[in-house]
Amino acid sequence: MNASVEPIVGRYVSVDIAGQPCRVYFEEAGAGIPLVCLHTAGADSRQYRHMLCDTAITSRYRVIAFDLPWHGKSYPPEGWQDQEYRLTTAGYVETVMAFCHALGLERPALIGCSIGGRIVLQLAHQHSDYFRALIGVEAADHQQPWYDTSWLHRGDVHGGEVCAALVSGLVAPQSPSNYRHETLWQYMQGGPGVFRGDLYFYRADSDLRGRLDGIRTDLCPLYLLTGEYDFSCTPEDTLRTAASIPGAQVTIMRELGHFPMSENPQQFRGYVLPVLDAIARQ
Amino acid sequence: MQDSANPAREEGAGLAQHFCSRALSFSRPRQVDLNLLVTFETTPVLVHVRDGRVTAAGVTSAPMPACDVALHASANAWSRFWQAVPAAGWHDIFALGKRGELSIRGNLQPLMAHLQFVKDLLACGRQARP
Repeated sequence: MNASVEPIVGRYVSVDIAGQPCRVYFEEAGAGIPLVCLHTAGADSRQYRHMLCDTAITSRYRVIAFDLPWHGKSYPPEGWQDQEYRLTTAGYVETVMAFCHALGLERPALIGCSIGGRIVLQLAHQHSDYFRALIGVEAADHQQPWYDTSWLHRGDVHGGEVCAALVSGLVAPQSPSNYRHETLWQYMQGGPGVFRGDLYFYRADSDLRGRLDGIRTDLCPLYLLTGEYDFSCTPEDTLRTAASIPGAQVTIMRELGHFPMSENPQQFRGYVLPVLDAIARQ
Repeated sequence: MQDSANPAREEGAGLAQHFCSRALSFSRPRQVDLNLLVTFETTPVLVHVRDGRVTAAGVTSAPMPACDVALHASANAWSRFWQAVPAAGWHDIFALGKRGELSIRGNLQPLMAHLQFVKDLLACGRQARP
């Protein structure tokens, strides 16, 4: 018999968000600098399972990945059945800050991917005094839509399957098959309308073009990492965004797509470890 | 007028034949029934899918062939898409669509209901990795 137990521990924290009690699931591993991890739209914290088990990270960082309400093992708030889920910029920032404060985190670093990358920019704008450093993965102030999100939630198309099939092209062709399909499985498991609700934030409520002036990268370093195969948040989108933020440090990652930490953890490691090294040296 | 004077059209015809030869063995265990029209430069291929299996795939000369969904791209775009490891931006039908290299017409409901099936079918012309 061959068995191994991973160091990841999962817990729940109850915290008020937007005046409603929310029971938020999070996983953590390691000790040291808190590193909060934000998943992509329509997915959950499992995307960070490789970083949570990487001793080169957990030897220096307390890695904490949480499921946004409505995602993964975090239920929607009470009364969800009578409302349409829509993530907003203000609600997303409030959620992140409420979670960090609920855990009593002091000057955490934070990494977010896709919508998590977008909110990193807003956090840099609003809360650079709180975070030690911010890492935006597949992050840009705006990006061009490439499909109609109404396809994500309708009666005659399976929501999970179409979400996964749409984003499957955002995984780089070099990514290992097992991790590609793990990544897609999460999209197949999302709640009805949740991916679309996340994309409301992405497409309708968070156009940050021209709104990112004043970011203090001297107080809170900002790192932007984007995969060359991401045609949703393209390298050009990230480079344009970085050009508007003095001090932002950009890397375009080879052979990676929109889900680097999940689709090809080994390849991503080569890019994220130097960033984490730099943050640890601050 | 000689058609052979157009290298892109000739390449498209060759790609269409290649696709037909591969598509005929394509199947997935799911309930899919649809007719696809896939055009390679100027060469249209009509694909019939029944019960998740390609039952026919051939170049058609019929005007306005009956189909649920029609996809069109240039020979150059299909060639790049079918590279063993396609370059960034040429690796997915929606990446092609976003850069204006592929168009999708027709009733999109069956396409979206069976999107991964159709994406895998269209990728069956891809070269094997070395």
